[in-house]
Amino acid sequence: MNPACHTENPRHLLAATFTRIAATRMAGLPVVNPALAVAVPAMEAWQGEWVGVLVTPWAVNLAILPGPGGRFRPIEVGGAQWWELPSGRYEFLGNREDGLGHYQSCSLLSPAFELSTQADAEDFALTAFDALLAAPPPASASAEGARLGGGSAISQPVSRRDFLRGGLFGGGR
Amino acid sequence: MIETFYDVLRRQGITRRSFLKFCSLTATSLGLGAAAAPRIAHALESKPRTPVVWLHGLECTCCTESFIRSAHPLTKDVILSMLSLDYDDTLMAAAGHQAEAILKEVKEKYKGQYILAVEGNPPLNEDGMYCFQGGRPFVEKLKEMAADCKAIIAWGSCASWGCVQAAKPNPTRATPVHKVITDKPVIKVPGCPPIPEVMTAVVTYMLSFERMPTLDRMGRPAMFYGQRIHDKCYRRPHFDAGQFAETWDDEGARKGYCLYKMGCKGPTTYNACSTVRWNEGVSFPIQSGHGCIGCSEDGFWDKGSFYSRVTDIKQFGIEANADKVGATAAAVVGAGIAAHAAVTALARARNKTGIDVKQGEQ
Repeated sequence: MNPACHTENPRHLLAATFTRIAATRMAGLPVVNPALAVAVPAMEAWQGEWVGVLVTPWAVNLAILPGPGGRFRPIEVGGAQWWELPSGRYEFLGNREDGLGHYQSCSLLSPAFELSTQADAEDFALTAFDALLAAPPPASASAEGARLGGGSAISQPVSRRDFLRGGLFGGGR
Repeated sequence: MIETFYDVLRRQGITRRSFLKFCSLTATSLGLGAAAAPRIAHALESKPRTPVVWLHGLECTCCTESFIRSAHPLTKDVILSMLSLDYDDTLMAAAGHQAEAILKEVKEKYKGQYILAVEGNPPLNEDGMYCFQGGRPFVEKLKEMAADCKAIIAWGSCASWGCVQAAKPNPTRATPVHKVITDKPVIKVPGCPPIPEVMTAVVTYMLSFERMPTLDRMGRPAMFYGQRIHDKCYRRPHFDAGQFAETWDDEGARKGYCLYKMGCKGPTTYNACSTVRWNEGVSFPIQSGHGCIGCSEDGFWDKGSFYSRVTDIKQFGIEANADKVGATAAAVVGAGIAAHAAVTALARARNKTGIDVKQGEQ
């Protein structure tokens, strides 16, 4: 097990870390939207890692922190890890912060001047978070649709990867 | 018998295997997925060849320099030998009257069918005398060739916005193409120069599918100009954590911290440099330790020093957002629309180079 993993939900730790950053390194910069504050409107366990969304006055990011799952790679800036989340593949970029340890983030919005109130920002973040963990329509929908429509599923484009994963027969992804 | 692209290509000695490889490379660079490769192949095999006429106005030829260095050698070969650059001052063998005769011939033979690629822009002061070609002002040549073309590609920041020659006080009144030619569709591919892969992808898309790629409200192909440098920058985690280089040789600079405080224009610049990168995907300015100068943005010469921090970012943002592609900015004002914006933002996060573009080709 990764020694740096969080056994408890690190939601408050993440919020506290970025609240500190907002008050120090980011203080007074023109990229900061004064109407917003740091918040972590959602963070939950997903396949052994902590997946959440972070609102700051300068950005709204998806965030992944290491849980006991063991798949989280402790990468520095410049490194990236691809995650297969229910709604698709996302590239998360690594970083490390004293007191928080390694974390990964994926940008949704920055700067955040479009969000005029904190409620808007959290609404935006929560909606994105829900959509992140919602499964998309099955990948084989087009093939299935063709079959139901009386056509041949085989006439639909199937990638080599899908074929090897059984995509031709409605499985895989 | 009509001559297709494929015919020309075979005549140039390019094998069918190479041709098919080119089609799949192009499909990939356009983000169209594997299924589009056979469609591109079919289009190039069966459709009549569309000539491209490439004019040069006030410019430095960096667009051409960029274009002929498209990453994959095959792309370069195919584009240059096959995709019919019937006229390009820099690349063609013809000269003098012979060269001007080509223009006339294309204009008559392919009336309403050829694509006009314009690098640089026409100066309008003194009746266009500041740019003179073949014994007449460039603006005349541009208007004449534009009259019978199907569409115009405005290469680079010169043709798209005006660039350095249009910087204040713009003594020659250098004017971007869309302000001179108003009755034809103009696709802007800004950048100084634009990324070669972007240039070849745009031109191949238009030749294969005989239509324009999806454009944003500023007239740029959304697939490559849908996101800011900042959105996909590999140094972005440093920005998010407030880790900035404060001078060029401090600890932060050595650690590769964010260059925002050193004047990086990444947060306000729409381009694909941070994803497609340069020199066959090797690097891009920020990776080399210098901030983005925002060369693909309108009027970047007049927006202050390359090294002064973007302070009016809010203003900047709104300006940039005027062209937003069904996206976040304008929409989030009302809370009810936040859902749409959030889902769009998520789609953009998934997408490597740009917004989730529906090209209608998949």
